[in-house]
Amino acid sequence: MSTPRKLAAKLLEAVERYAPEQSREWASAMLAELDFIDGDWSALFWALGSATAIARHAAGNWRSWFSNTKHPKEEKMESTGKKTVGVLSGAGLALLLAFAGMGLVQFLGFMFPDSGIEHMQWPHFLGAIVIPEIVFVISAILLWRKRPPVAVGILLMGAAIGVHVAVHFATH
Amino acid sequence: MNLRLSPQTLLVLDAFLVQAEEWKYGYDLSRITGLKSGTLYPILMRLAERKLLETAWEAGEPGRPPRHMYRFTPEGFRVARANALSRTLGNLGKVALEMGLDR
Repeated sequence: MSTPRKLAAKLLEAVERYAPEQSREWASAMLAELDFIDGDWSALFWALGSATAIARHAAGNWRSWFSNTKHPKEEKMESTGKKTVGVLSGAGLALLLAFAGMGLVQFLGFMFPDSGIEHMQWPHFLGAIVIPEIVFVISAILLWRKRPPVAVGILLMGAAIGVHVAVHFATH
Repeated sequence: MNLRLSPQTLLVLDAFLVQAEEWKYGYDLSRITGLKSGTLYPILMRLAERKLLETAWEAGEPGRPPRHMYRFTPEGFRVARANALSRTLGNLGKVALEMGLDR
């Protein structure tokens, strides 16, 4: 096998390996065609063009994942009232989770009084702030496509709780 | 149907209209249309995502990988044929205008 053809095969194998799930079948299709291309340089140019096509396809998928224009479910959330309800629901859920985290720390302190959790600062910090904030960010990313108002509500409440804690630490 | 019908897309649609019931391969389409893989495959992907093309894997000969094949769905065939017809009628209209047959 000549060097250009080897390069072409290596390139398309790498593209196939690292392509996102939605583009992998296409990358495999391009790689399979390589065996039927007559010239070695043609094979290399085929591979280069194919790699570009996969990169553009993957980029397009990411763009459509982040954009909120293509999902019909969104049409239900178009009115301002529904958006407001979505934001409030997200904020309420976030607040509930933060309270649940704080409650869990209190409950652990009540259940295991000898552990001294009640008087330690880090379990409160971890249970009421760090873990809930991580959950807020993850859930906002997951909800961004289908329920943007809810995701916004979660992020707003997460930011508000963060600011509240920062102010609390600064003043005490 | 929100499909951008660029000249390259029209070339691909026309290539699929020839013996439309037969499966076609990527490299063969590239040779027929003269399009490079970087242009051809995004068009095939768009057509397949819009359900105008169906895809399948052909069991390859021993020692050769299976090949990806493409052909029109009934909807794809309808869209391509309607488009080809409207282009033909448009061209006929232009010819008629040039020949002064519209009067």
